[in-house]
Amino acid sequence: MQDDKALILKLQNKDEAALSQLYDNYSPALYGIIIRICKDEQHAQNLLQDTFMTIWDKAHQYNPEKGKFYTWAYRIAKNKTLNHLRQIKSLIQTEDLSVYTNKEDSITVEPEYLQLNGCLKQLDQHHQKAIELVYFKGLTHREAHKEMDVPLGTFKSYIKQAVKKLQLSYDKTVVWVLIFIELIK
Amino acid sequence: MDKAYILEHGILEQYLLGELTADEQLQVEHVLNIDADLRTEFDTLEANFEKMAFENAINPPKAVKMNLMQNIKASQSKIIPLQKSNPLKIYLYAASGIAACLLVGAFWMYTQLNNTNKQLQIVTEQNELLLKDIDGLMNDLEYTSQYFNIVNSPDTEQYILTGNDLAPNAKVVSYVNHKNKSVIINTKELTQLDADHDYQMWADVEGEMINMGVIDKEKQLLAMNYIDNAESLNITIEPAGGNDHPTVSRLVTNVYLQ
Repeated sequence: MQDDKALILKLQNKDEAALSQLYDNYSPALYGIIIRICKDEQHAQNLLQDTFMTIWDKAHQYNPEKGKFYTWAYRIAKNKTLNHLRQIKSLIQTEDLSVYTNKEDSITVEPEYLQLNGCLKQLDQHHQKAIELVYFKGLTHREAHKEMDVPLGTFKSYIKQAVKKLQLSYDKTVVWVLIFIELIK
Repeated sequence: MDKAYILEHGILEQYLLGELTADEQLQVEHVLNIDADLRTEFDTLEANFEKMAFENAINPPKAVKMNLMQNIKASQSKIIPLQKSNPLKIYLYAASGIAACLLVGAFWMYTQLNNTNKQLQIVTEQNELLLKDIDGLMNDLEYTSQYFNIVNSPDTEQYILTGNDLAPNAKVVSYVNHKNKSVIINTKELTQLDADHDYQMWADVEGEMINMGVIDKEKQLLAMNYIDNAESLNITIEPAGGNDHPTVSRLVTNVYLQ
């Protein structure tokens, strides 16, 4: 999805229609991230709405020269979701609410629903896992390498290799699409 | 932090994911600005991550968008009216509006009241007139019934006074009831007189003419004074208002009672 500069400019001028359009374009991708991190549909919906409220309020802070709109929105969504999870965690620790202790196990979403799709599936298992941890689970590199039980350097090279392979498969897809378009012509 | 370090340590990925400290972020942004190769590398990385995200997109329920847009609208409309309008002013406008309505309403009701009062007055006046009419009609009825009773009584005798040479066309019908001692005459066919003269009726008792009354020009049927032992009834023309003694030279009609 390409960044629509005109649309973002309108958003920065508080145009509700622009927000609506950007929501239509980006909310499924962002919801995919949020729900995979927090694993609770109700919370994920609230967090998605909250993310777009922040996008609306802080639109003027987005600088297109620094990166894509999606990257900016992704960081907002991920931070909100991780903050939310931290709040629940601290609530459990301070209040000792036994109700919440099994929270991590009590996933409210079907696991199949959260399965990863697309070119990611063509990657080796460990590459796929590495990407999933940092990108779809919201872990930092330092947290993720412990999770995978490999040294940080190895983990970083996993990510690098995974990204390279993804790049290749995306390029292939583009080539195939171009060939297909040529054939149709 | 230079290009080699950034590439070797996977800094671009961590920058993309927002894992770096603010200080590290600034350093990476600085290098990205001056190094076109690194910039291209980062752009590709960004594009691939975005593609991956779209491949793994999950559609959120529509209610989320509806809520979001409502919240946005609410937050928009909250700001604007607070800045522009003073609540006291709104109350004053509302109060003056209500006051104006009440004033107009009061004036309208006052006009209505006036109209109603006028109509009531007219109705009352008409009512009085009607009552008077009814009163008059009742009187007339009573009067007429009385006459009718007398005229219709078997004890009543009828005498017709026909005009002499002075009044050849005159004809007066008199009804005399000796039992009730009443006399009623019908003057329908009596010739009209001028304003200076009146007809007057007399009873002849043993050669003396006794006044029975002046005949009212307005009425056709009227009661006269009953005189005992009258031998005849006589009508003369007299000056307006009647006379003490009859002007015999101007006798127009008479009839003997049997």
